[in-house]
Amino acid sequence: MSSALTEVRRTTTAAAAPPADRRKKPPGLKRARTFYLFVAPWIIGFVALTVFPLGYAFWLSLTDSDGLSPRTHFVGFDNYVEIFQDPLTLSSLGKTGLFALVTVPLSILAGLLLAVMLNQPIKGRGLLRGLIYLPAVVPPVGAALTFRLIFDRDAGAANGVLSGLGADPITWLVDPNVRYVLYALVLWGCGGSMIISLAGLQDIPRELLEAAQVDGASYWQSFTRITVPLLSPVILFQVITGVIGSLQSFAPLLLSSGSLSGAGTVPQGNYLYMIHVFAQYFSASRFGYASAMLWLLFAVILLVTLVIIKVSARTVFYTVEPEGKK
Amino acid sequence: MTRTYRWALWLVLLAVVVAMLSPIAWLVLTSLKSPAEMASFPPTWWPQEPRPANYTDAISKVNFLGATQNSLTIAFITTTLTTLSSAWVGFGFARLSAPGKKQLFVVLLATMMLPGIVTLVPTYLIFAKLHMVNTYWPWVAWGLGGSAFLIFLFRQFFAGIPREMEEAAIIDGCGYVGIFWRIFLPQSWPVIAASVILSFTGAWGDFVGPAMFLSQDSTTLAVAMASGYVNDKGLPLNNLVAAGAVMYVLPVLVLFLFMQPRFVSGFSTSGIK
Repeated sequence: MSSALTEVRRTTTAAAAPPADRRKKPPGLKRARTFYLFVAPWIIGFVALTVFPLGYAFWLSLTDSDGLSPRTHFVGFDNYVEIFQDPLTLSSLGKTGLFALVTVPLSILAGLLLAVMLNQPIKGRGLLRGLIYLPAVVPPVGAALTFRLIFDRDAGAANGVLSGLGADPITWLVDPNVRYVLYALVLWGCGGSMIISLAGLQDIPRELLEAAQVDGASYWQSFTRITVPLLSPVILFQVITGVIGSLQSFAPLLLSSGSLSGAGTVPQGNYLYMIHVFAQYFSASRFGYASAMLWLLFAVILLVTLVIIKVSARTVFYTVEPEGKK
Repeated sequence: MTRTYRWALWLVLLAVVVAMLSPIAWLVLTSLKSPAEMASFPPTWWPQEPRPANYTDAISKVNFLGATQNSLTIAFITTTLTTLSSAWVGFGFARLSAPGKKQLFVVLLATMMLPGIVTLVPTYLIFAKLHMVNTYWPWVAWGLGGSAFLIFLFRQFFAGIPREMEEAAIIDGCGYVGIFWRIFLPQSWPVIAASVILSFTGAWGDFVGPAMFLSQDSTTLAVAMASGYVNDKGLPLNNLVAAGAVMYVLPVLVLFLFMQPRFVSGFSTSGIK
């Protein structure tokens, strides 16, 4: 680090002395202007790529736009009214809620369990961590295709095992079994959750656990009274990101079809909300209605996130303030 | 810890490793099977007559090399621009101050929770109006905007660098741009490495973006993989799917295994919460 510094010194002093008029402006203002120069790319990106599209989607949601024809009519909140009368929209929303309810706790618990085991001093720990994390690195398309092959009716490994055991083959990729394939796919990637929990576990001061041991606490007691409370911010983080992720999941699309317009081929059991959005956008060209669906999803995600934060406020235990000084 | 306990733990973890790796093993085994073998039930575990030709067929059946090139181009644009932009913005949040900074930082953190897909579809319409669909310009725009998570990562790292470094440079007449470019950025290679890995794998794995913004013949490997391997009747050619998927997934896995010790431990010490 000193070499970088001296190098800068050399080059700047060799070039020229700093111009004197640079210090005339009030330093606070100049600093502020520099700050905004640095954060400008993000602010511009945020406005152009997040705020504006959201606003645009909201405007569209009040029209009957099909994205092509110039004649677009303002229809007020008709699209929103229709959402609550469309059985397909409501059922897909319900399925998405169920999907989140099953997969988020499942993958957090699996990840936590693995993290606790891999936090023990055992041989080859690093390699074991890496190998268990490995599936989380597989790109979604690759993972979905792999699971399609495993659960293929004739050539799949799952039915191979079943027939080896003398059981009848199961048609996995259609209703009602297809949702279990989806759950298995999510569980396969629980290494991501494991890594985050592991990071949290390593932050827990060893002295705390040793002190509890000296005081005669059982392993289970120190786990529930020390480890879990200290891990609660990490778990909360995973719950929030997990719920947000699963509410906008389109994984079933990859599991059954290779294109966004192929939403109609997704089996009923996996017909999640985003699938219906894609179907409305790319198959039915109902841009106005689909935009209303997206805005509803946005509102639901916002609401759920706020509720989770509010409800957890009393149970989450912070050792340091989240935005505190280091 | 007793010996038996240690052994039991080891066995459990070994079983998990086998369970985690078996899908990949199945993918590789399937990629070597003949069409006849694919059609027989019950399935064979080991390919009877390994058929390496699946791989050459998988490359010629879809525009594999072209799609790979598109994937690499998009990944390169995303990785370079996102990393540079995130570092730049992260520096601003770490080392400079101005009225409104605190609020902006809260907004930045909140955007990490923003559902990406919700904005992606209207963004598609906007880019379509600007005639930028089927070009790489959307990726340039996304890259320049930076990523909230990476900005946060860079900010954490830059905030930890001693103030003296910056003060000495200021006394020597170096501006903040120079400080960022010549002092802070060269020191931040661990974060740069993380950023490169994350944005590259993110771009390589992305499906919805390319599927929406690019036409079928200029799309990425992820999309070509998902939709390309079908016969005349539209039924999937599963042994070719497997061979293609191996070629699509394996580079990422090899890269990961190569950097695995650094990556996993880096994650554990980065103070992610």
